[in-house]
Amino acid sequence: MSQVEISNLSKVYTVGGEEIIAVQNLSLTIEKGDLLAVVGHSGSGKTTLISMIGGILKPTSGSIVVDGTDICKLDDADLSEYRNRKIGFMFQFASLLPVLTAMENVLLPRIFAAEGGANHHRRAEEYLDALGLADKRHAFPGELSGGQQRRVAIARALINEPRLILADEPTGDLDEETEADILKLFHQLNREKGISFVIVTHSSEIAAECRKRCRMSHGVLEHEV
Amino acid sequence: MTTKTRPTKFGKLAVALRNLKRNAFRTTVLVSAIAILVALLIFATFFTVSVSATIEKASDRLGADLLIVPVGARDFAQEFLLESKQKSFYMPKEILPRVQEIEGIESATYQTYLETITGLCCDVAEAQIIAFDQDTDFIVKPWLQNSIGRALGPGEAIAGIETYENLGLELLEVEKTMFNKRFKIVGVLERTGTGLDNAIFMTETDLQEIVAGGSSPLKKDQISIIFAKIGRDVDPYHVGLDVEGNIIEVDVVTRREMGSELLRKLSDINKIFVLSTVMGAILTVFLVWAIFSAIANERASEIGIMRAVGASESHIVRLFILEVVLVGVLGSLIGTALGTYLFMSLTKSFALLRDLSVPVLSFRPLPAYLLQQSVIGVASILVGTGICIAGALGPINRIKRLEPHVSMKGSLLCRR
Repeated sequence: MSQVEISNLSKVYTVGGEEIIAVQNLSLTIEKGDLLAVVGHSGSGKTTLISMIGGILKPTSGSIVVDGTDICKLDDADLSEYRNRKIGFMFQFASLLPVLTAMENVLLPRIFAAEGGANHHRRAEEYLDALGLADKRHAFPGELSGGQQRRVAIARALINEPRLILADEPTGDLDEETEADILKLFHQLNREKGISFVIVTHSSEIAAECRKRCRMSHGVLEHEV
Repeated sequence: MTTKTRPTKFGKLAVALRNLKRNAFRTTVLVSAIAILVALLIFATFFTVSVSATIEKASDRLGADLLIVPVGARDFAQEFLLESKQKSFYMPKEILPRVQEIEGIESATYQTYLETITGLCCDVAEAQIIAFDQDTDFIVKPWLQNSIGRALGPGEAIAGIETYENLGLELLEVEKTMFNKRFKIVGVLERTGTGLDNAIFMTETDLQEIVAGGSSPLKKDQISIIFAKIGRDVDPYHVGLDVEGNIIEVDVVTRREMGSELLRKLSDINKIFVLSTVMGAILTVFLVWAIFSAIANERASEIGIMRAVGASESHIVRLFILEVVLVGVLGSLIGTALGTYLFMSLTKSFALLRDLSVPVLSFRPLPAYLLQQSVIGVASILVGTGICIAGALGPINRIKRLEPHVSMKGSLLCRR
């Protein structure tokens, strides 16, 4: 059953009067429970693609239908709610707010959530514990290593229990052991909770562990495996 | 090891506070700018309100509808009665019955201003010796009743509150300047907020003795001022014109006209205050705009992250507004306290306030005082916070419109 239906999606940037085609006429279906790896060279449009799926970048043309709703047609409030409730983001750069502790960074999406929730504090603790950060809950990002910061970002992506996680080079800064732990957690969440994953990666090892893979080149989806 | 911690309160307010603490110097600059502006506003408001209210109260407390003085002494009389500036001016006493005969005049009394008693120190106000007619008086009598509950006897005098305090401090050479006649100060008048506070009152009988003794340059049957009450439903302006028309030796000041010259001066001072405050407000708006523009640029990436995890444009605006309001309210509160302190401490430094005997703090009546202070305080906080918001709105609006992806990258890619 399809969770995301992408049709004829294009994104064109204009830089200094010159047009740069980041994504061109791309169509893709993501099924519920998919574990999809998107591979490709730098500048192939991978990050642009998941940014558009995540609703943080408007496409130039095309449609992205998520659970029956074309998110390209949503207004700011609805699109923000979509990002908050249905999407978990993991970025390829350090993406924590420096003034907040690890725990507060994990809880950040909750303060923008439309509905309240009683268990999110406990859940945040559990995720941090599971990611080996039990003793770092009250540490500020500046006090954490790159790998620890990345793990806090993962816990933040999970806090609202989204149905789709978009991960852009999620283990880029991590050592092999932590990388293995993270991937294990992804597989566990995918298997046990049915959360779909779209993982942008350069790593053929990570891609190999995903059930589905696709390659992008010059903004075009070359093939889907 | 897994440890459970008690949930801490975490919300938009916590984020705003952390952001303000992040750059304490910048926050301090913003709070200080707002505080200085609000302090100026508070000072100007207190100054204007106090002067206006004091003039109004002083003219009301005199209890006379018309002040009748020798031609040319109109300003002198007002300066004495409102500003405690000691003056001597005289007219023949025979004018009193002529005034009483004018249609519309209900009652009239008079006072005679003798020489002044000079303070030993430059900061001590001079005291005027005033003789009043106890039979016809309605100016001093109500205060006298409150003070000693009876009329003054021979050789007795009563002091205005300011003069009494100065006497108590032994800053006035009383016996030397009382024309060699020994007076017993039997009481002190309540504060009237008029020039009467800086006076010593004696009876007309004692004055006549002094004049007869020749120790005063005052001639017999000279008076300084006539206070008149008019009947109900009579226009004081027209009665005043009648008085001036029938008695060419006098000028008339109506109660409404009292302090009009001062109010004109106050109006000019107000213009300076308004100009200073407006310029200060404009400067503060620019300062807030510049600082929040820098903040918005610095936090572009963080705003992008917040947008990515579900913050809408309105969430971002509210977060920034919360910061701005915290700065505005804190600055306004400090400014309100600072402005009040400045007014209290500088009251005696301004000749206009000093001469008018503007009370540093007048708590009576308490409900009205509290209401007035609350209105001024709340209005100042609203103005201070509003100015802060006005300055920050531009940068906030600019940053909220950036696409999260663009904000995060911190780049300014043009979009199609």
